[in-house]
Amino acid sequence: MANDNPAVRLRRGSDRLFPGDRAIAYVAVVLVCAVTVLPLLYMISLSLQSNAEIFAGNPVLWPAQLQFANYASLFERAPVARFLLNSFIMASLITLSHLIFDPLAGYAFAKFEFRFKRTLFIIVLATLMVPFFVRMIPIYVMFSQLGWTDSYQGLVVPFLSDAFGIFLMRQFIEPLPNTLIDAGRVDGASEWRIYRSIILPQTRAALAVLALFTFVFQWNNFLWPLVITSSTKMRTMPIGLTLFNQEYFTQWNLTAAGSVVLFVPTALLFFFTQRYLVRGIALTGLK
Amino acid sequence: MTSLATARRTGLPTRGHNRRRTLAPYAFLAAPMAFFAVLFFYPLVQELITSFYTGPRADQFAGVSNFTRAFADANMRHSFVVTFEFAAGTLVFSILIGLVLAAMLNARLKGSVIFRGILLVPYLTSIAIVGLLWRNILDPQVGVLNRLLVAAHLPTQTWLNTSPVATIVFIAVWQQVGYTTLLFLAGMQGIPESYYEAAKVDGASPWQRFWRVTLPLLAPTTLFVSVIGVISSLQEFALPYLVTNGGPGDATSLYVFRLYDVAFTFRDFGYASALSYLMLIVILILSAIQLRIGRRDHGE
Repeated sequence: MANDNPAVRLRRGSDRLFPGDRAIAYVAVVLVCAVTVLPLLYMISLSLQSNAEIFAGNPVLWPAQLQFANYASLFERAPVARFLLNSFIMASLITLSHLIFDPLAGYAFAKFEFRFKRTLFIIVLATLMVPFFVRMIPIYVMFSQLGWTDSYQGLVVPFLSDAFGIFLMRQFIEPLPNTLIDAGRVDGASEWRIYRSIILPQTRAALAVLALFTFVFQWNNFLWPLVITSSTKMRTMPIGLTLFNQEYFTQWNLTAAGSVVLFVPTALLFFFTQRYLVRGIALTGLK
Repeated sequence: MTSLATARRTGLPTRGHNRRRTLAPYAFLAAPMAFFAVLFFYPLVQELITSFYTGPRADQFAGVSNFTRAFADANMRHSFVVTFEFAAGTLVFSILIGLVLAAMLNARLKGSVIFRGILLVPYLTSIAIVGLLWRNILDPQVGVLNRLLVAAHLPTQTWLNTSPVATIVFIAVWQQVGYTTLLFLAGMQGIPESYYEAAKVDGASPWQRFWRVTLPLLAPTTLFVSVIGVISSLQEFALPYLVTNGGPGDATSLYVFRLYDVAFTFRDFGYASALSYLMLIVILILSAIQLRIGRRDHGE
């Protein structure tokens, strides 16, 4: 990870060049990137097309005139603002909860020796093997009994922490030097103060990765909001988007406009934090 | 006070100091462990219990009938097969394309960092966007793909009718190949430079270096990508829900898509619980195989 400077990394890679022709490699990479990007550009184009253009049965690549009014129409005809607010509340609360619990648990596993440490750690890792669809039905039944369906607590509570976040924080905290912790103890600081004032400030980079991942994945979460919400006012944006096609209108330009609105926050986040995200995937994906 | 000060100076743990240290980790772990107990392990047990019950409130004991029903259910067997086809197709293409792209990006291509960024965008895009966008692009009436094919004098197709499974495999690969590429790229950058230098000294050609050094040393990455990929494909729900509605017929009714219907359309929680457990067992077996192979490789 020391070689995060692209120039350094690419020079290192020079001796293990793609074995084939470099020109072929270039063309292939550009081609795959085009296949990746063009549909998303088409989505933007579609969101700006007039009704005549989308209904003509003769799809166009780019609108004759950009219909920015589609976006206004989208917010007028469907409760998009509410959907976005719900998505934001869900993703933010879950992210906040991860930022509280994951570093605490990660610190406990990284820097303490205690009875049942191994057992507890295995229990945490075992949760990785419990797919969401297995938890979905019992949690739905439990939340129905609690009256939590169609509510924010219903949306948020199943995702308050996870093994991925705890593992990420443990991996990050473990190599931090013990001397500061020991010094804190010698000075008589409480364990909570040692954590709060010595450990936590040093984990900022990892917390940023954790927050980004959690927010983006919950912003995009699909299955659980679909299951647990039922009223229009509690739907999140990804679910609202699918409703456009069924309830509000069958106009692809407006569906595309809704997609762009849902896409923009993640795209902006990604653009400004690409380096952290890439590092986070490489780090947790392989360790 | 004096003995405490002495103990601290000499670095010996004092009593209070020690006790505080042993309790702190439990305090730090209490909330997350309580969360896992209530929202992972309790549901796991509850689901197992429910799988032995039937009725709209899942309150009539039914023995193993939900399980025997699952094995006899032709629809479920079909779903299971289609799900594995989907998982296998997605796996093979994301690994092949991901590996080749990673090897290319690892070469000194100008703009590698930008390409890598572009490839990751679909992975971070909501599946709701991805599903609806492709449904539109592939649509026989309003879709732009057939229009482009006509313009290029190529034959058009109603993609979601003629090759439905291949089409959702394509969409899945489109979305996740950037992630696979990134994992392979990280794996390649973890291979020590000295291996390549040694191979070069021995006169190995670039192709030999790729086959004999890069590929074998990427085996742990490939194993990880395969298992993680298959496990997540086996859970795919949104693509059939958004793009094909399981069709045409039941050609793309993946396992969890059908499970969702059994649970939340037909409200048959007992049967749905049994179906969840059967798929969980398959996933656990796959995880166990990964652990086993991973351990064997490390043991050598």
